[in-house]
Amino acid sequence: MLEVEGLKKKFKTNVAVNEVNLYLDKGESVGLLGPNGAGKSTTISMISTLIKPTAGKVRYQGKNILKDPNSIRPILGVVPQEIALYELLSAYENVKFFGKIYGLKGKQLEQKIDQVLELVGLQDRKKDLVKTYSGGMKRRINIAVALLHEPEILIMDEPTVGIDPQSRSYILDMVRKLNQEKGMTVLYTSHYMEEVERLCDRVYIMDHGQIIASGTKEELKSILSSEETVLIEVDQTSSAMLDALNELTAIQQVTEAPKGYKLIVSKGANVLADVFSLAETMDIKITSAHVEVPTLEDVFLHLTGRKLRD
Amino acid sequence: MWAVFELQWVRLKRNPFLVLSFLGLTFVFVFLLAGSQADQKMTVHTFTDQLSEPQMAEWLDLLNDSDTLTFQQSDREDVVDLIEAGRISFGLHVDEEQFHYLVGHQSHYQIAVDQHVQRVFQETLRIRQVAEQTGITDIQGRVEEALEQPLMSIDVDALKGDASQADAERFHVVIGMTLYFAIYTILITISSIIIQKRDGTWNRLILSPVKKTKIYLGHLFYCFLIGFLQIVVSFALFHYLLGYDFGDQFGAIVLVLIVYVFSIVALGMFLMGLIQSPQQLDAVNPIVATGMAMLGGAFWPIDLISNQMMIALSRVMPIFHGMEGLKGAILFDQGITELLQPLSILLLMGVLFMGIGINLMERDTKI
Repeated sequence: MLEVEGLKKKFKTNVAVNEVNLYLDKGESVGLLGPNGAGKSTTISMISTLIKPTAGKVRYQGKNILKDPNSIRPILGVVPQEIALYELLSAYENVKFFGKIYGLKGKQLEQKIDQVLELVGLQDRKKDLVKTYSGGMKRRINIAVALLHEPEILIMDEPTVGIDPQSRSYILDMVRKLNQEKGMTVLYTSHYMEEVERLCDRVYIMDHGQIIASGTKEELKSILSSEETVLIEVDQTSSAMLDALNELTAIQQVTEAPKGYKLIVSKGANVLADVFSLAETMDIKITSAHVEVPTLEDVFLHLTGRKLRD
Repeated sequence: MWAVFELQWVRLKRNPFLVLSFLGLTFVFVFLLAGSQADQKMTVHTFTDQLSEPQMAEWLDLLNDSDTLTFQQSDREDVVDLIEAGRISFGLHVDEEQFHYLVGHQSHYQIAVDQHVQRVFQETLRIRQVAEQTGITDIQGRVEEALEQPLMSIDVDALKGDASQADAERFHVVIGMTLYFAIYTILITISSIIIQKRDGTWNRLILSPVKKTKIYLGHLFYCFLIGFLQIVVSFALFHYLLGYDFGDQFGAIVLVLIVYVFSIVALGMFLMGLIQSPQQLDAVNPIVATGMAMLGGAFWPIDLISNQMMIALSRVMPIFHGMEGLKGAILFDQGITELLQPLSILLLMGVLFMGIGINLMERDTKI
């Protein structure tokens, strides 16, 4: 449905996005995961025809949309990272205005307004000015505006930034519903791994402007199939212990965890005996030890050596 | 385009304070500067060394037959003190059949005063001369009686109309201040584009199926209308409340206003293209508006300036040509044909500013 080929964006000497290739199939929910500054927003700005790429192509049903942006704009719904609303207008007035510029009018417009306000749960507050809304309510109207014209493709740029867990959960459920019940194709960017894990069928992991891994959640986690994550909790951490763990050959990677250490080890390798013996010689008590199922966060850590929110 | 245009009015309705305060400020300033000047007369301190009280009173009566000048009797010492203190630039010394000036520093008002004093002295002395020669005592009354039914009358057409100096000065302030404050309102209104770019709503408009040209047109037409209405309301208030006569060239006035407001809207677009944030615009607006008004002659007539560079600079200010056009139509009864020069220059400036401005705004990465 939508293909991105060799997308590149250079701002003076800084290459924000480099050789990005991705695709979206109809009805899919695809995540673009990466830390802040990875190039996610720039990538989706180019896909949504907002900014011009330095190089590369974006094809919708085989046609290069960068040459004719108007061919894709009517079927595209974009939820920007910022609250792009007129604060002095009510939710109803905001939605109505954006409906009008998408060519909706009369009864049809009123019906659509009712539907989206119902969907985002703000029907009863529709006459209130947006400036009086909470952060979560603003986010929901921000999404409603993008949904009014029933787009085929919904592009969401970190739509849950800075809101409470309740509003976040509401938004994620809503997006899931749109994708599963209405068959809307969703491209969802976030640096919250758990959101992408919950919503998306396929994931692209991005860092330093490049796609560093892609596939279904299971495929990505299978990158770590030859490895295991062992979480050790201790009564006291020390840099000497960290160095000693790093020197154990069976351990591939060691990072500090809140109460101990996170070890990435080869699958099946019996490192616990060595770790216990090491702790004993250093007079450190191990309070717990367990093997974790890998998450996308682990995949990201494995690929980049950094955490998503670093 | 109309949805975007309509949106601006809804936003104005929700927060009319800024635009209304500028409208209010316009009226306050114009009323203070121009309205007060409508009744203001210039005082000329007049003294004598030789004349008796009744003789001096007679001269003052004759001299005070003026709409714009008041001749006030003073002592020589007082006049000298005032000149030394720099509070007046000159005083008038009247004697039996002659007058002189006591001058502290040169003033262009002295020319206007001198013209009036010379005329009064010439007329009065001639009448006295005739009275002495003929022996008729009431020669003044007879002259006035004869003028009521003149043997013949002569119409004089000057090259540039028949506006009096007083009218020219009053209208200069009204036109200058009104056009000056309109620049503020237009630039502040047009800055909503930059604000929308900052808060992301502009991107939403760009991503809609509405063409960029129509989005710009919706915004610019609104800015144009706000600026145009402010000037029209201001002129209407001066006409109906203070009795200012704006003449008969209604069409020419409206056309000059349209072209002037267009050039300022275009100038606003040019500035939007140069700056990056609303904060920068807040800093640039007063500099541009006031600088342009000063250089373009909104605060004082350009005729008073002798520096050739300043005169050349004034010619590249839209406000200068707007004032020339309006003064031509209001004071000198000039029609559209006679105003082609300022109209064409304003139009050219508007087209240039708009073209460069839109190109600058779109020069970045937008598709």
